[in-house]
Amino acid sequence: MAVSTTSSVTLSANDRLVAGVFALLLGAFLVFGAGLANSAVLHDTAHDTRHSYGFPCH
Amino acid sequence: MIVRYLLAALVAGLFSGALMTAAQEARVVPLILHAEEFEGGEETAPATDGTTPTTGGAATTQEHSSFGAVLLDVASYLSPVSVAYAHEGEAHEEGGIMFGMSRFSGTLLANLVTGTGFALLLAGFSLVSGHPITVANGALWGAAGWLAVHMLPAIGLPPELPGFPAADLTQRQIWWVATVLLSAGGLYLLFLKPGIVAKIAGIVLIAAPQVYGAPQPSDISSNVPAVLGAEFAVAALATTLFFWIVLGLALGFANEKVAKAA
Repeated sequence: MAVSTTSSVTLSANDRLVAGVFALLLGAFLVFGAGLANSAVLHDTAHDTRHSYGFPCH
Repeated sequence: MIVRYLLAALVAGLFSGALMTAAQEARVVPLILHAEEFEGGEETAPATDGTTPTTGGAATTQEHSSFGAVLLDVASYLSPVSVAYAHEGEAHEEGGIMFGMSRFSGTLLANLVTGTGFALLLAGFSLVSGHPITVANGALWGAAGWLAVHMLPAIGLPPELPGFPAADLTQRQIWWVATVLLSAGGLYLLFLKPGIVAKIAGIVLIAAPQVYGAPQPSDISSNVPAVLGAEFAVAALATTLFFWIVLGLALGFANEKVAKAA
């Protein structure tokens, strides 16, 4: 894809890695909590979402 | 600057999660509610008008008209996946929805959290790999995310309705997470790494969990009609594809705003 000349990421390589790793960790935490965590309250709250996204459920 | 890119992901995720809720309410949630009428025996599902004729059969009519011990016997006879097992982890007397919210607001909250989570994962993947997400390629990023998180895992573990037979939850979750990670790595090698070796390695990574195989239930009988399952699998995959394409585009748009503001 040679289309991304107008808006490349304007971060230094180091900042980019820090931002990326932080985003990956926080994102994984949120997805785990909503989709996979084995808590009855979290399960019941996210029940329809878990099924809709095809997370393994029940 | 770091915070701005994280905020871009946050905005894109919340936006996509909100739209996803609307898409779910249109097609997916009605199927879940419908399936729950067949799940287990103790639920006092009202004999809804449309249900009985479409599913047909004397057994169904009987299930809807009689409750109590007889029904429990019938249900456990028809399938081992009933009552106790199907409601395992769904014990409403122990769990219940957070903050006493309604079922819909619980789903909305979960969609916002999940949307933000997937947005951060997509943005993080893009930042670490050094391939920016833009409006022009956002839909493709979204489609790749959908392949990795939904379509490829669905080959082994199709989106399941409540009351469906399934193998041990922990084993399925392990297989699911491993498949998502391997598929994402494989797609990265396939699309973003040049060279024939990378392409072959990508295909091997994507195929590996499928060849290994997902944990499957030993008994596949279920009270839930198969037609509902088929409709649900397609509806779930279609709505998640919608979600990911919106997410990719929104993230590309938000990224360009951040880059311009810089």
